[in-house]
Amino acid sequence: MISCRDFISELGNLLDEDVASEIRQQLEAHLAHCNTCQVLYDSTRQTLRIVTESGSFEYPEPIAEPLVSKVMDRIRSSCEPDNPVRK
Amino acid sequence: MGFLPEIDVPLSAESLTTLKQNFGLAPGIYRAQMIRPDLVDAQVRLLDQLLFTKGALSRVQKEFILLAVSAENNNSYFPALHCQTLQFLGVKPEQSQRVAIDHREANLSEPEVVLLDFARKLASSPHSFTDVDVESLRKSHFNEEQILEAVLMVGLTQLLNCLQMGLGTEPDFKPRVIPVKEVNPPVASERQIPVPELSGDFASDDPDFEIVARVRNGETDAFEELVRKHGRRVYRSLLGIVGSPEEAEDGLQDVFFKAFQHLSHFEGRSRFSTWLVRIAINTGLQRVRSRKEFDSIDEDNEEFRPRNIQAWTDTPEDSYSREELRRLVEREVMKLPVKYRVALMLRDLEELSTEEAAAALGLSVPGLKARVLRGRLMLRESMVQYFSKTSAGKS
Repeated sequence: MISCRDFISELGNLLDEDVASEIRQQLEAHLAHCNTCQVLYDSTRQTLRIVTESGSFEYPEPIAEPLVSKVMDRIRSSCEPDNPVRK
Repeated sequence: MGFLPEIDVPLSAESLTTLKQNFGLAPGIYRAQMIRPDLVDAQVRLLDQLLFTKGALSRVQKEFILLAVSAENNNSYFPALHCQTLQFLGVKPEQSQRVAIDHREANLSEPEVVLLDFARKLASSPHSFTDVDVESLRKSHFNEEQILEAVLMVGLTQLLNCLQMGLGTEPDFKPRVIPVKEVNPPVASERQIPVPELSGDFASDDPDFEIVARVRNGETDAFEELVRKHGRRVYRSLLGIVGSPEEAEDGLQDVFFKAFQHLSHFEGRSRFSTWLVRIAINTGLQRVRSRKEFDSIDEDNEEFRPRNIQAWTDTPEDSYSREELRRLVEREVMKLPVKYRVALMLRDLEELSTEEAAAALGLSVPGLKARVLRGRLMLRESMVQYFSKTSAGKS
């Protein structure tokens, strides 16, 4: 039977669904009798769902196009023949 | 082929001996300058006096400066050459790779970390370099001669990098030290420092293959498509590191400008987008470091023990509006130490694969996984206050 510590060390792979079936069975067996790890697993999974669905750190649409223009202006001016910046 | 015609004039016997003794060959960067053999001899003498001859700094310390500063410049020629040289000097390739990517994570002694902080800053932000930076070396017990050699080594590295870029010198050696995965599949998990393009082969399923090729062929306007396509990812990677939208916007411009400038050095063994994210991460970290509030990225061995194990409500997000949730997540993610935050952002917000995120951060896959898990657990812990059964909706 695996310990809570073993469970936590495999938790990342479990969340990423990247565990071999025999390990998964051991982890599930642990969860069946360890309420602490079950709560930890559920709440971390919920955390991930909230983070990925929250729309956080979005690239604000209003700034996207002006930024593209700024970048391209800088690049084009660096390519002008009298500009010493190497292309 | 470089930018200048190659002249079929042999190097002087003295220069050839010095170069062969130290590199095992005469690097193309010198052969490319044979229009002026006298200047080549002068450069080789400088290299010999400053780098190869025993001085106040150790040879390894000087090689580390060369490696770190070249990597800072996104130069791919010298890191490969000098990783190899360092291996001759007994430094493991993995450690050289770490120095190139982030010397603070290379298990160096504290004075060596300070030395490379000094070198990278002098190379990348000379305008903000002051006597305080010199004093940092004195505090780490470097003497005046060692400080002078450190400055000279940064200068020598800049000269070498500049020569290679200015002459368009192609690598003429195989980077034996650095393991490079086969081109197909183009997973860059084993390649952690820039490696020269040896045969022009490209990650064959890179969706940006065609656009990159057009830009490299002089179609500057085609780059706009890459900016539009990858702006969001670059912006988010930067924001996750620097924390302020204004600074992320500034950084985004720098990232794309650097990418454009260095496109001829993009070796094509990883996807263009992975290469771009790596530039974004370096740019972000550089900005955070210059604010001097960069939290230590040395691994703390202390095990993270989750606390606050309280059950959450089934649909915790229902207690908050979408806007509240977005702000809450941004606030709590930004509280994470940067090393965990960036790993978590790349995996869980950018949804890079583990291998891609590891390559972008210059970490091993297990190292990356450990950081992502730690970030997720820390974030979970900070979310308990909002989402546990006893506290949901009470923010």
